[in-house]
Amino acid sequence: MKASINWLKEFVEFSLTPQEIAETLTMSGLEVEGMEETEDDTLLEVNVPPNRPDCLSINGIAREISAVLGLTLKQPHISVSESGAVERPAVEIKDAGLCMRYSARIIRGVRIAPSPQRISERLELHGIRAKNNVVDITNYVLLEMGHPLHAFDLDKLSGSSIVVRQAGSTDKFLTLDNDERTLSSEMLLIWDKEKPVAIAGVMGGLNTEVAGDTVNILLESACFNPASVRRTSKTLNLSTESSYRFERGADIEGLIKALDRAAHLIAEIAGGEVSAMADNYPASFIPVQIPFKFSKINAVLGIDINPQRAEELLTRLGFKIKREGDGPTVVPPCYRQDVRCDIDVIEEIARLYGYDKIPATLPAIRMQSELPAMRNLIKTVTESLRKSGYSEAINYSFLNPSAFDKLMLSPDDARRNLIKIRNPLKNEDEALRTTLIPALLENVRLNLSRGEKSLRFFELSKVFLPSGQKLPAEPLRLSAVYLKGADSSSLWQGKHDGFYDLKGALEGLFAELRIQDYSFAAEGFCEPYLHPGKSCAVRAGNMVIGSIGALHPAAAQGFDISGEIYLFELDAEKLLLNIPAGITYRPLPKYPYVERDMAIVVLNEIKSADVSAAILNAEPDMIESVSLFDIYTGAHIPEGKKSLAFAIRYRAGDRTLTDSEVDLIHSKILKQLADSFRAELRS
Amino acid sequence: MIEDILSIKDLVREEVNKAKDSKTIQAVRVKFLGKKGILTGKLKSLNSIPNKHRPEYGRVLNEVKTEIESILRKQEEFFKSAELENSLKANRIDVTVSGYYIPCGHQHPTSRVLDEIVDVFLSLGFRIEEGPEVELDYYNFEALNMPQDHPARDMQDTFYITDDVVLRTHTSPVQVHVMKKNRPPLRVIAPGKVYRCDADVSHTPMFQQIEGFMVDSHITMSDLKGVLEVFIHQIFGPKIPVRFRPSFFPFTEPSAEIDIGCVICGGTGCKVCKNTGWIEILGAGMINPRVFEMVGYDPEAYTGFAFGMGIERITMLKYGIDDIRLFFENDKRFLEQF
Repeated sequence: MKASINWLKEFVEFSLTPQEIAETLTMSGLEVEGMEETEDDTLLEVNVPPNRPDCLSINGIAREISAVLGLTLKQPHISVSESGAVERPAVEIKDAGLCMRYSARIIRGVRIAPSPQRISERLELHGIRAKNNVVDITNYVLLEMGHPLHAFDLDKLSGSSIVVRQAGSTDKFLTLDNDERTLSSEMLLIWDKEKPVAIAGVMGGLNTEVAGDTVNILLESACFNPASVRRTSKTLNLSTESSYRFERGADIEGLIKALDRAAHLIAEIAGGEVSAMADNYPASFIPVQIPFKFSKINAVLGIDINPQRAEELLTRLGFKIKREGDGPTVVPPCYRQDVRCDIDVIEEIARLYGYDKIPATLPAIRMQSELPAMRNLIKTVTESLRKSGYSEAINYSFLNPSAFDKLMLSPDDARRNLIKIRNPLKNEDEALRTTLIPALLENVRLNLSRGEKSLRFFELSKVFLPSGQKLPAEPLRLSAVYLKGADSSSLWQGKHDGFYDLKGALEGLFAELRIQDYSFAAEGFCEPYLHPGKSCAVRAGNMVIGSIGALHPAAAQGFDISGEIYLFELDAEKLLLNIPAGITYRPLPKYPYVERDMAIVVLNEIKSADVSAAILNAEPDMIESVSLFDIYTGAHIPEGKKSLAFAIRYRAGDRTLTDSEVDLIHSKILKQLADSFRAELRS
Repeated sequence: MIEDILSIKDLVREEVNKAKDSKTIQAVRVKFLGKKGILTGKLKSLNSIPNKHRPEYGRVLNEVKTEIESILRKQEEFFKSAELENSLKANRIDVTVSGYYIPCGHQHPTSRVLDEIVDVFLSLGFRIEEGPEVELDYYNFEALNMPQDHPARDMQDTFYITDDVVLRTHTSPVQVHVMKKNRPPLRVIAPGKVYRCDADVSHTPMFQQIEGFMVDSHITMSDLKGVLEVFIHQIFGPKIPVRFRPSFFPFTEPSAEIDIGCVICGGTGCKVCKNTGWIEILGAGMINPRVFEMVGYDPEAYTGFAFGMGIERITMLKYGIDDIRLFFENDKRFLEQF
């Protein structure tokens, strides 16, 4: 809400500078978000919170200033002489729950003309376009007193009676902005004898517009149900100065004042004779009585304020304190319908007392901090992958379903089963992610387009999977992407397949998490977006926890990216399940080890991990470790075969192994490998 | 005879002096001390020396041998160390070539700031809880004193999944979940992603918040001020000015907004603080008794405070980032700065 300092000063005479008044308002709850200097005035941009419709006017803000500074509030000048014939518009309210009060006056013989400059200038300054004197005065009073008014051209009404009732079967209505609105049956309308003439509290109809030829008007000042106005305004996507105020709650007791202020100004400026007033007010407003314990102020705020001071602050705000019966009762003024119980009263006291005067204390600490396991996992993952060169990416949770075709997922892939947003910002963002892969590929695309050649990113985020319940399951996923650049800028670029870079990062993570029981299994594995020859499932314990592999070139093409790209995606919960409980110390070995190498020739399709496992299992008590240190194909190795070289470390727990013992085991292993893998010793 | 033996010493010295490397010294050693060496020969012929002179002859021979050995060793050591030096010097690499390492990756700036924030609150005895990102309207609004048709809902443009399922617009619903499941005392922070149907230079449809709350029998607004001041001073330094001013949130009463002195201009006024010298970083307040009623707490028995802040906003202020969209674009050049 914009508020001119000059206008405010008509109601409260303060001597503070605009900066000081802005500061005062901000510190008492009406944040001044901006200031605009004009030739001889300053315009404050006041952020009025939704619970304070009483401050959506110049008079309301002035009232607030008067309370904060302890100054007198002046009222706008109102003097209505009912000079017209004793005619009174008839007002019928069909549902008092939707329209709590409706008052009106008829003014005959107005002369429509442009407003005087002082009016039109103020309107324009506060963001309302000037139209003609009558319409401008309704808007002027709206700004001044906060109550929305509406003027109908009486001669365009059929008869001078008003009915307030819902739209029913009427489904179209042309509003003042010359827009045909589609109504729904429960919307509240203002009717004359025959037709709807306004959408209650939102906007009038073009059919009864006050225009240049208008002579007689009917002036409305009413109070409508906030929720009803809000629903109508939302449904029509039509928010007006009027609906904005009604949906926050209008001052049912103050609306006559607004009607009369407007009638007074119209008679003064546009002329005409004002009729008697119709006032249909089915159920009078009953002020709320709040039982109040002064001791609670200090209990909530942690200050030391005495009842007299509290009472003085409340009185400044127009609250009444009654001391009768069981204890004090606080009665807020009718325009403060946001104040309903004692905590609301305490907030008022705190505001006026000043938040800055509340001391800062620290509550006694009861230690209970511990990190949830998942939080720890996130920490370890971030640290481990960071050390392997991976940076953390955070992407939006939204997903464009077309990504699934680019990933070549089959039509019945579970990941296509999406949670959809009913009102997405963009159609492409209409669903929630079921996988993090598309976003990471999009990151690759963006960075490639900006000239980056290599990339290591990971993301830890939730995905959203339909669960059959109202709310989806939200498991945490860990994904990473590695773009192996044709990177001439690094001297040390390895010649190996980039798969092993990414796999190495993952194995480093497993080591950091102390997960030992894991494996990479290609058998029967198929992830459509991964290279079938360079991908596999990642297993930990007895479960598949994810997948890793090179991006399928066709998928890369779909995402409009090129280069060597590797990805993994893991289920973080399953990762968590496989972390061993604690660290248990194992005594250091007492006897030395003997290390022997073994180079064997096997068929290409033999998996080195299977051979390693076979070696280890051949004599588990004697073999401490097996490590593959060379894979060789080429000269001296038959076509279709490869040489694998292992370093085997022998050690016994109870003695020093002799050479002849080791020789025996070594040859036994070789024989077993010959049996199970048709392995031959490399000559 | 003795003179003969003594002259061998001079012979050795002469040859050693001529030698240019350890190899030659080795040859000298063989020539004099080897199996067929000159001195070795003399030692072998000791038997042919008359008994009378033998001890004297033997003593001199041994002295000379020791001396020769010493001469040879010294010179050999001299040559060897010089030769090692020379061979090392010859084996020279280009030390200016940069070393091999995998450059460390980077933590996302918001995660980094979030960790800092979490650490402060952990040290104040708070524990971490989380809630779902797809949330029932009830938890996101109703239970937080924002019934249907409440204008406060305008403060948060909402993504809807169905009529009663939304993407949470704030982390405050975690308050309700935690309070429903536990009894006071409670001291909890709840970080996470939230969503609002809004996108421009200063708004992204997804961002991160951290919620904190504390409920016990004697929690006051001055405790709220104390805890938040400690937090702000930890994150922005002990000298940063802080102010609390009244505001409105349906789920807190009294409500406050917390400003810090503008970190960009130092309070003199700039675009970022809209010339006010202050920047809003937190919303907070005393938990509205109506929220306590919703979760079945006796509002007369308990009081509590709650606060919430946007992680991106704090990160932007901390590092001087001027466009919130950068956080979710994942440009390597951006991420690598943190």
